[in-house]
Amino acid sequence: MKLDCDFCVVGAGAGGAVVAAELAEGGARVVVLEQGPSHDPDGFTARPPEMLARLYRDGGQTATLGAPPIMLPLGRGIGGTTLVNSGTCFRTPPHVLERWAREFGLELDEATLRPCFERVERALSVAEVTPELAGANAAVARRGAERLGWSHGYLRRNARGCVGSGVCVFGCPTSAKQHTGITYIPRATAAGARILTGADVREVLVERGRARGVRARLARGGELEVLAPTVVLACGTIHTPLLMARSRLDDASAQRGRNLALHPATAGFALMDEVVDMARGVPQSLYIDEFAAQGIIFEGVAGPPAYAAMSLPLTGARHARAMADYRRLAQFGLMVSDESRGSVRALAGAPVIRYDLCPQDVSKFQIGLARLQELFLAAGAREVYLPLPAGVAPERARARDLRLMAFHPLGTARADARPTHGVTDRQLAVHGAPGVYVADGSVIPSALGVNPQLTIMALATRLAFHLLGRSVPGELSPAPAATSAAAREDSQPDREESACPS
Amino acid sequence: MSAATGIERFLAAAPWPQRAGLRLLLALERRPRGAALLARMPMAEQAAHAILALGRYDDPAVACALGWDPRAVVARGRALRRAERRP
Repeated sequence: MKLDCDFCVVGAGAGGAVVAAELAEGGARVVVLEQGPSHDPDGFTARPPEMLARLYRDGGQTATLGAPPIMLPLGRGIGGTTLVNSGTCFRTPPHVLERWAREFGLELDEATLRPCFERVERALSVAEVTPELAGANAAVARRGAERLGWSHGYLRRNARGCVGSGVCVFGCPTSAKQHTGITYIPRATAAGARILTGADVREVLVERGRARGVRARLARGGELEVLAPTVVLACGTIHTPLLMARSRLDDASAQRGRNLALHPATAGFALMDEVVDMARGVPQSLYIDEFAAQGIIFEGVAGPPAYAAMSLPLTGARHARAMADYRRLAQFGLMVSDESRGSVRALAGAPVIRYDLCPQDVSKFQIGLARLQELFLAAGAREVYLPLPAGVAPERARARDLRLMAFHPLGTARADARPTHGVTDRQLAVHGAPGVYVADGSVIPSALGVNPQLTIMALATRLAFHLLGRSVPGELSPAPAATSAAAREDSQPDREESACPS
Repeated sequence: MSAATGIERFLAAAPWPQRAGLRLLLALERRPRGAALLARMPMAEQAAHAILALGRYDDPAVACALGWDPRAVVARGRALRRAERRP
């Protein structure tokens, strides 16, 4: 089977869906290939084990090798990880943009990216969580933060008509969360893009040094070739570098698959006097940024009993007793803006993710866990359960004592203006591989310190308009219609200046 | 779906090294001598315990007793989606 188009987008998550919709609405002929399925919300059961198996790659059990091993759950299917994340939306912090300009030659300031952020935020209905919707779990953390005088606030999320079902990460049963599968992908389809699920892209096809399309295996059997002069890779930070390596794309910088940042995270529980019912309300609705300058941010986390039981750092009778008090359990998490760097490579076709926590990041967890305990005690906790072995105090925790998860892999195809230092350039084109672009977390060259979905989507928006050869409109008004031929004629994929108005 | 089926699907979805490792841990945890062995390996014991707990508290009857009814959450979601023509 063969298809022909202007742009082939590989992946339908935060980056791919945005690029596809903007390109299609700009008049281009677009084909999107997604390895996973399309998920019908009628099939969402709000039961963690079943939903982990269905909505996540590897059943949510992707893990890093290193000290300590870190669980790295990734979404799979239309919507990608936006289908199973908590919906938290932060713009890229200004100090991070300044660092990118200084260290990586990426001229992206707040003014440059503002139209991209505004466009994405409107498309996703981003708004601040209300205290009522945040629920009692957030109220516990808020009380603690207020008593300690710590800076905090309600998070901004991409949700519309949310009723606080409490299972954002197990498939939103009300379709309130505005993931890309119900926002950008329908827009792409309406504008004529073809979306194929169950298409496992094995190779980017290159002819005379330039992209000419991709070859995919289809889940239903057979192969598919999509012929396109421009290919946008958006398979995510773990899989994009592996596809590039399989395709033998140039890697003069030798940085492909390296520089992996994860934002490692952990969470603690507290037994309160009041009924919390942590799964009633928005699980991730409050943040505490008092220690953001030290690379530590606290964010809400919560879930139904099965999720809490799996996460509760107790065993035996103590676990049973605490779970019997599930209704009075509160939970809060902390995330570290990591300095550690890992790598990803393929072994027998499967990703092997190496990542060791460096001493600086261990120190951040020591501080963060001590502060988390302080927060719960200030809020009136009767008992605090930290994710540490019995008898280990936070300030003495070693890397191997930590129970970590991570949700924000970044950096394995990092953008850097210099071909000797980065995999992609400032326009997210792969150095040395004309016609191949990247639109996912892999291009982000450093840890952000905040949830990355909005940054990925803003960069994808900027890339789409660059490929169309147009400026990003300042308002949401639909992208100007153009014929496919017009879009192709307008296309200036090799130009260097920013497509966003400054 | 029973909680046991949910856990089996969860394990089946794991990459093979984790799948094999977790099944071994669960087999040990369910036997007195195996549990005694795991007690000497806190990380392994915690992993086995987490999976067993995930299954046990996924049982709707157990979850309902703790104030969480997944069927009600799903039913409300469906009703809202239909009433408001959400995707």
